[in-house]
Amino acid sequence: MTSALLEQDVEATDADRDVRGGTSFWRYAGRKAGGAAFSLVMVVVLGFFAFRILPGDPTRSMTRGRIMSPEQLETLKRQFGLDEPLHTQFWIYLKNLPRLDFGESYVYRRPVSDLIAEHLGATLLLTGVSAAIAIALGLWIGQRAAWRRGSWFDRLNTGSALVLWSVPTFWLGLILLLVFGGMLHWLPTGGLKTAGTTATGIPLVWDVIRHMIMPVVTLVAVTYAQYLLVMRASLLEEMHADYLTTARAKGLREDLVRRRHAVPNALLPTVTLVFLHLGGLIAGAVTVEAIFSWPGLGYLTYAALSGPDLPLLQGTFVVFSSIVILMNLAADLLYRFLDPRVRAA
Amino acid sequence: MAELVFDDVTITYHPPGRDPVEAVKGVSLTVPAGGSLGVAGESGSGKSTLAMAVLRLLPRSATLTGRVSVGGHDVQDLSWGKLRALRWSEASIVFQGAMHSLNPVRRVGEQIVEALELHVKDDYATEKAREQRMRDLLAQVDLDRSKETSFPHELSGGQRQRVMIAMALACDPDLVIADEPTTALDVIVQDQVLRILRKLVAERGIALLFISHDLSVLASTCDRIAVMRDGVVVEEGPSHEVVTNPTHDYTATLARAFPTIGDPTSRLRPATRVVEEAAPADDPAQGGIPVAPQANPDERPILAADNVTVRFHTRAGTVTAVDDVSLQCRTGEIVALVGQSGSGKTTLARTLLGLHRADSGRVLFDGAPLPASPKELRPFRRSVQLVLQDPSSALNPRHSIYEAVAEGIRIHHLPGDERERVERALDQAELRPAAQFTSALPHELSGGQRQRVVIAGALALEPRFLVADEPVASLDASVRGEILGLMLRLKRRLGLGALVITHDLGLAWNIADRVLVMYRGAIVEEGTVEQVLLDPQHDYTKKLLAAVPQLA
Repeated sequence: MTSALLEQDVEATDADRDVRGGTSFWRYAGRKAGGAAFSLVMVVVLGFFAFRILPGDPTRSMTRGRIMSPEQLETLKRQFGLDEPLHTQFWIYLKNLPRLDFGESYVYRRPVSDLIAEHLGATLLLTGVSAAIAIALGLWIGQRAAWRRGSWFDRLNTGSALVLWSVPTFWLGLILLLVFGGMLHWLPTGGLKTAGTTATGIPLVWDVIRHMIMPVVTLVAVTYAQYLLVMRASLLEEMHADYLTTARAKGLREDLVRRRHAVPNALLPTVTLVFLHLGGLIAGAVTVEAIFSWPGLGYLTYAALSGPDLPLLQGTFVVFSSIVILMNLAADLLYRFLDPRVRAA
Repeated sequence: MAELVFDDVTITYHPPGRDPVEAVKGVSLTVPAGGSLGVAGESGSGKSTLAMAVLRLLPRSATLTGRVSVGGHDVQDLSWGKLRALRWSEASIVFQGAMHSLNPVRRVGEQIVEALELHVKDDYATEKAREQRMRDLLAQVDLDRSKETSFPHELSGGQRQRVMIAMALACDPDLVIADEPTTALDVIVQDQVLRILRKLVAERGIALLFISHDLSVLASTCDRIAVMRDGVVVEEGPSHEVVTNPTHDYTATLARAFPTIGDPTSRLRPATRVVEEAAPADDPAQGGIPVAPQANPDERPILAADNVTVRFHTRAGTVTAVDDVSLQCRTGEIVALVGQSGSGKTTLARTLLGLHRADSGRVLFDGAPLPASPKELRPFRRSVQLVLQDPSSALNPRHSIYEAVAEGIRIHHLPGDERERVERALDQAELRPAAQFTSALPHELSGGQRQRVVIAGALALEPRFLVADEPVASLDASVRGEILGLMLRLKRRLGLGALVITHDLGLAWNIADRVLVMYRGAIVEEGTVEQVLLDPQHDYTKKLLAAVPQLA
């Protein structure tokens, strides 16, 4: 009941004094960064304890298939610090974090940070390219579909996007693998480049691109629908706005009305959601990388899970979560630039 | 040659899945070059549909028969290219609700320049010339240069509307269509906007088609007035003739809706079409509205402010919204709090309701200071009820009328049969028979009925006092009188007092016993309605009264 009164107050003070600007950008950024930092701390804490709850003795899985004497197992435990009480382990974990030291992988017997550094590039390449294509495709189809709502273009594209979205990622990946890799032999079935290749320069790039096609197609196919639907919905919201009538009355062509007036407004709610959905893309990357043996973080996580390789899991968990948190922070900051009303608020 | 001609125009909407609706039926009107025509009517009269037809801006679901011609061209026959060339360069529109008619994410200067870029003429063939022209236009509507880089939300309602006018004049059109350009603006700002519009149109010899629900606004701006109802023009003639000597009953109703301040026939008698079923106590001489019992000035006020000051702390500094205000409200008395938007009257009302804390001073309820805790505030909340401006947004669209009214009864655990209480409240708000309304949803009711539901929701709690924030500002002219009449009758029958916040001085003349004039957070004048409105002492009160458009 009070909201209308509140709004009028805002209107009244604005009207009289032409308040320009509002809180400074840095204060806003500081507040958002503070929120992000808090989320990061939670991730660090969770990352440690969540995986300790996993059943099973890590030393057993490290030595799976080999016969070990109890003494040997004890030595192994001491070597990885697993004989210490939980709070001491946590303290060591915290102490090492600032140096990005996540400990040593049980399975690979190498520092986790080295492993992550090795695999990060491949994941960024795969998810980056997929995200760019999925966003561009989704937003483009989304705004066209909304503008001509109910047309065959709208129905066909929205329909097929929804079908692809509901398809399980692993199933689509396997089908592609079977058809284009196994039956037609058009594309390589796994890895980032041909094993043992000595190619450099353009031939190497071409080789990588050929390896990327199937994983990228899979990831794009299962994710672009969300961008499409968000864009379509927010443009539909704007379609009947009065300022579009103004733009038409001014004599703008219909596609200029769309591009110059409707889309910039519809993009505002879309931007935040696009960044939020990037988290989903990363989850999809774990599956896709596992299917196509893509040597990225997702593949590494998959390997760590079958261990279970606690330090490695912790490491990939913290990295993945940090990426999502940073993306959300970026969305908040970007939104402020896009929407003048938020800038002043 | 005539500038704008409607020749036997009929416009039909074909909503998918429903029967077609004729919004405009056989309308023939002419706006001569350099002349001005006002079209009056309420919502649903088809007046806005007619305006949209001029630039062929109707949705695809609408069909038009007859002829609409601008400067001799039949708008229907033009190719898209020619139509786009005609739009804005020959005829432009000032839309209602400038908040929504400007693109919220683009600077207002750019939006004006955009129109110039589309219709390049020799005078502004270069980027630089266009920017210069944009600045000239803003200067002509009395806007400061610094405003060109503003976004719409940074401007006040009046400033936005002036940007809209500057934009409409950008390409030197021969015809300007103004569709409710001053609705939702307060009297003083309305007066400024009308002045600018009148001046520019007269100086440049632009033809004007002006659409409004307010006959007095049209009378002050246009040569001729056409009155529309249900898609048909019921009366057309020279402005003076139409408003002073209406031949059609409907025109007379519209003309009476906004009272002339000082006219004794409308004092405590809002125009109403409802024939009263005479309650025994009612005095028939008062047109069904019973004589009000005079509130006893010695009685203890139910709600009072004692040197209340409210400040807002913004980045731009501290703003004193309410400055040392004292007032008393009694049951059985209607007090009007008048002032422009931004005068602090809404903040004062919020403070009186305990929704905002006073920085200094006290709010007294029944002689005792308002308690701070939500629990102790409960009896107060029940006794003092709030009625908001827009009934469409004050009601939950998915709750039935029964739910809307019963909600308060449940919150306050009132004893007795809930249904009986709900029906009694609806009956008191004159929604009769009450049983017919209980299962309806808000969208099935008219605007006036919705406002009655909001009032019934308040009445269900058996309050002693109402605070109403612009209770009729969003309602049609003919409904306005009915709601005001209801408030008067509630005062008589239930002894209910009210504080009515409004920028509409006619409303005060219609129903109030006392008037408080608020200006920049302070009450600058106070007294009975007759004292304040007929013999104003403060300059600001005089200015407010002078800005009210008068019929004839």
